Amino acid sequence: MTELIKSKTSTEKPGDDLASHQKCMMTRRQFLLTSGTATATVMLMMKFGAAQAAVPAVVTNYPRKLIGKLSSLQNDKPLAFSYPDDGDYAESLLVKLGTEGGGGVGPKKDVVAFNYYCTHQGGSLDGTYKAATKSLGACPLHLSTFDLTRHGIVISGQAYQSVPQVLLEIEGDNIYAVGMMGLIYGRNSNLKG
Amino acid sequence: MSTPYYIPEDQVPLPPKNAEVLTTACDYCIVACGYKVYRWPTSARSGGPRANENAFNEDFPVGSMGWWVAPTQHNVVMHDGKPHHVVVVPDHDTEVVNIGGDSSIRGGTLAGKCYNPETPTADRLQTPMIRMYGVLMPVSWDFALDIAAEVSKHVIKNHGANAYSVKTYSYQYMENTYAITKFALRSINTANFTFHDTPSDVTSTPGFRDAGFDNFGAAYKDWADAEVLFMVGTDPYETKSALFTSHIKPAIEGGQKALMMGPRATAGTAFVENNGGLWLDTVPGSDLPVLLAISRIIVENGWEDSDWIKNWVNDKWGSSSGFGQGTRNTPWQWRTTWGKFQTGGFEDWKKWLLKQDVSKLSVASKISGCSEAKIKKAAEMLAKPVNGKRPKTSIMIEKGLYWSNNTGNTNAISALGIIVGAGGRPGQMIARAGGHQRGGQRGGGYPRNKSPEKVPGRRKRAMDTDRYLVAGNTRLAYAIGTTWIQSMCGTQGLADAFNELVVNNPHQIRSYDKQEIIDTLKKRADSGGMVVMNQDIYLRDPIGARYADIVFPAATWGEETFTRANGERRLRVYNKFYDAPGQAKPDWWIMAQLAKRMGFEGFDWKNSNDVIEESSRFSRGGRKAFHMVKVAAHREGKTFHEKLNEYGTTGIQGPTMMREDGKLVGTVRLHDITRKLSETGAAGINMQNKKMTHFNSQTGKCNIQKAPWGLFSDYWEFIKPKKDELWLTSGRINEIWQSGFDDERKPYMRQRWPENFVEIHPADAKKKGIESGDRVMVYSDRVPYQKDTILGIEGDDFQFSSLQKNGHIEYGKAAVTAIAIVTPAIKESVMFMNFLDTKQPANALQGRVVDQISGNYNYKMGSAKVKKIGESQYKDTFTSMSFAPRTIT
Repeated sequence: MTELIKSKTSTEKPGDDLASHQKCMMTRRQFLLTSGTATATVMLMMKFGAAQAAVPAVVTNYPRKLIGKLSSLQNDKPLAFSYPDDGDYAESLLVKLGTEGGGGVGPKKDVVAFNYYCTHQGGSLDGTYKAATKSLGACPLHLSTFDLTRHGIVISGQAYQSVPQVLLEIEGDNIYAVGMMGLIYGRNSNLKG
Repeated sequence: MSTPYYIPEDQVPLPPKNAEVLTTACDYCIVACGYKVYRWPTSARSGGPRANENAFNEDFPVGSMGWWVAPTQHNVVMHDGKPHHVVVVPDHDTEVVNIGGDSSIRGGTLAGKCYNPETPTADRLQTPMIRMYGVLMPVSWDFALDIAAEVSKHVIKNHGANAYSVKTYSYQYMENTYAITKFALRSINTANFTFHDTPSDVTSTPGFRDAGFDNFGAAYKDWADAEVLFMVGTDPYETKSALFTSHIKPAIEGGQKALMMGPRATAGTAFVENNGGLWLDTVPGSDLPVLLAISRIIVENGWEDSDWIKNWVNDKWGSSSGFGQGTRNTPWQWRTTWGKFQTGGFEDWKKWLLKQDVSKLSVASKISGCSEAKIKKAAEMLAKPVNGKRPKTSIMIEKGLYWSNNTGNTNAISALGIIVGAGGRPGQMIARAGGHQRGGQRGGGYPRNKSPEKVPGRRKRAMDTDRYLVAGNTRLAYAIGTTWIQSMCGTQGLADAFNELVVNNPHQIRSYDKQEIIDTLKKRADSGGMVVMNQDIYLRDPIGARYADIVFPAATWGEETFTRANGERRLRVYNKFYDAPGQAKPDWWIMAQLAKRMGFEGFDWKNSNDVIEESSRFSRGGRKAFHMVKVAAHREGKTFHEKLNEYGTTGIQGPTMMREDGKLVGTVRLHDITRKLSETGAAGINMQNKKMTHFNSQTGKCNIQKAPWGLFSDYWEFIKPKKDELWLTSGRINEIWQSGFDDERKPYMRQRWPENFVEIHPADAKKKGIESGDRVMVYSDRVPYQKDTILGIEGDDFQFSSLQKNGHIEYGKAAVTAIAIVTPAIKESVMFMNFLDTKQPANALQGRVVDQISGNYNYKMGSAKVKKIGESQYKDTFTSMSFAPRTIT
């Protein structure tokens, strides 16, 4: 067996302005990963050798959407919004954890947003936010739980990946959704078309 | 500061309409969920999101429980030398096992295990290697095999077959286990042989064996059909999750009352408690008193299943009757020699039970730390008739039970199972849930008479291979698909022996010449040292990385066509779907090459189908007998694999039989007294045996046995935490399979669990000033190691206190570091770690002292001190680990 293997992702759509999107997305992803804490940096565990510099995810064009105001958020009271569109599985939550979380924005870096569907088999996590543990779940289908202070990582359960995190930016009092980390359940691509 | 972070993809390719589809099952836990592999060349166009554009015939986004593909389910592999996309997803059409396409986090990320040099699987072993000048260097198969064969022959000829140790996985596919055991047991005929999870080749559940219960008699349906389900020593959600989510969770939601017992609560435990169930929170090794107390409450109230006992439990005469059982020369016989276990039936057992101090509610509660109210409640739930009707009760056991007081606990649970009528009927079964899948097929018998181990009574017991090695008797150690050292108790003491015998021996290879290399290794063996051969898919540390002189690269799941059964004896084909890396070869092939070079006959297989077809006749009479699949196949001009492949992910449950019209019939459950078999007996080469409709005992009825606490209590009292010590137990966690050989190469799993952890109760943590995220040292100065192979003469020669008194126990220091997780989900006074982290192995702190009756280790009951040594990088960063409790519902 020779080592002819190509990059795992080969589904870019022709016509996309790859370079500029890549740049844009890297900025936003890094923003997400570094804004939660002064000390966190990115480590690409999965890339080796020459491929190290590659961006693993396909570059896509996420909309910038106003989803709420900092001043209207209360600790542990999630607000629902749709992102990146109004289609299936777009329901998401915006929540002020009251404690710093990975990718959090706002003065206390405690405002985070996540998709509302379990990344195992699509159970709705709506209504499962737990203030005591800052978590989503247990999913009614197979009991997966997710830690919202840690980028939605699986605490326990069946899900194959973290619950997708919605990337946020702040402009004054406005909170904007600007991108996503992770594939939304049910979709083959986060953006339709 | 940086910690592992996996940036997930937000898009995934879909298989096109013309993608090839192959069936397989998950490589990991006992449940063996059915999976489908979709494969298409990277040069071809991938599928689209419309139903008419993809192989699933689904419009994306798909509905919940639909044919979704997570990015972790896609990979690019080589097939026939050309790069192909593969998507490995649960089979959503399946009506068995993972009904509707359920899956675990392990199986759901199977694609990530496939070799792809762009991923952390890049370090797969690809060529044989020989350690020359201190370094493992790639060599050719011929070079490595010639050396291995010559040294092997020399060791056997000059030091005897028992100097040749084979330590192998028991489960990694029937084709391989048959070849390995044929080599070790039939050809070499060494007693220095055992499997990955025990120092001696002995039964894992002696009490089950003697009561007449097959370990895997139950069907998954039985766990769901039970009205009351008692899960002891496991939370199936944490260890075999699809069994819980596809079978037990729906049953509980439908009204099943569930109970769990053990020191640690996890998501399944929390779900049980929230749905009218009960968690019996016991400290390690205290199951026996609790089970006896439950039994006592049941019989004192007359809640036992009298009809069942009358018809299906041996009385005095039945207990002593029968050739090959009773008082005759069998393992059961010597276990009963000293009158410790055998009873004259239910009334005799009851009389014994009522005399036991530990069966008193107050005593059992004190020993176990579980409240009297809970123990009483458990007895009521398990056996008290409701409106005059007995509940249908099933009992599921696993390692938390049988690896903490191996013989005592399995006897106690068997007796409880018998009196509540668990066994032999739909929804009323007693069985193991299982750990790994059932992929063992023996190609030779264990030569017990050659074992030096003699226990009191007349019997020999299988050799304790670790103790034999530590004593310097093993001259060649051949480890196949197991870490050996971290998997066994007293890890660090065992590693010391490997260092002494292998690394510190003066005879090290400093030559390029084949004959000089052979001569050096022979001198090593002759000088009292040890040669190490290791066969695996990755270079494991230390068995491969530090100790192996010769390394053979193995091909595995997906790289060869294999056969295996799951926890309900369901046989399936695991199809090859991509090329093995480099020159890696399946284990059966490696064994055959080595065996032929050593002059053994009967290894001329051309492919894995040849091996399974040769092995099938030896499966007859076993719980997963598959011989009739071959008979059916040959009748139809097919191979075994072709025939079994027709059953897809559904497979067929063993033992298999064939009807007159040639159709194969499986076996839903063993010991099924409701099953009607042909009255005129088996036709043709079909086999009808006792285990299908009766129990595995001398009469076909159950043996109800005593479970004396005194055989174990001195060890338990010794291990019991002193002063500032805490109990230390270990077990599986859902996200990691076995030693984590794949998971540490799945970036997301690495992010979730970058290293081993220790769960500590908040009250204990507070006393020691420990918080979640702190790095702690878990350590002990008194890990007991049993030394010396002694001949047991008197009844108590192998009793722990006698071993101590007679100087056969020494005490070692041991320590592992871990990340603290402070959680009330672990019982106060107990700590819990993942059982097999190769860098931070919990077994280092478990005593290397075997159960005196069975010869198994009691892996789940150690004790240790714990102290903070600093703060980890995971404490204040947010990318890796989680300290949230696993009991959120």
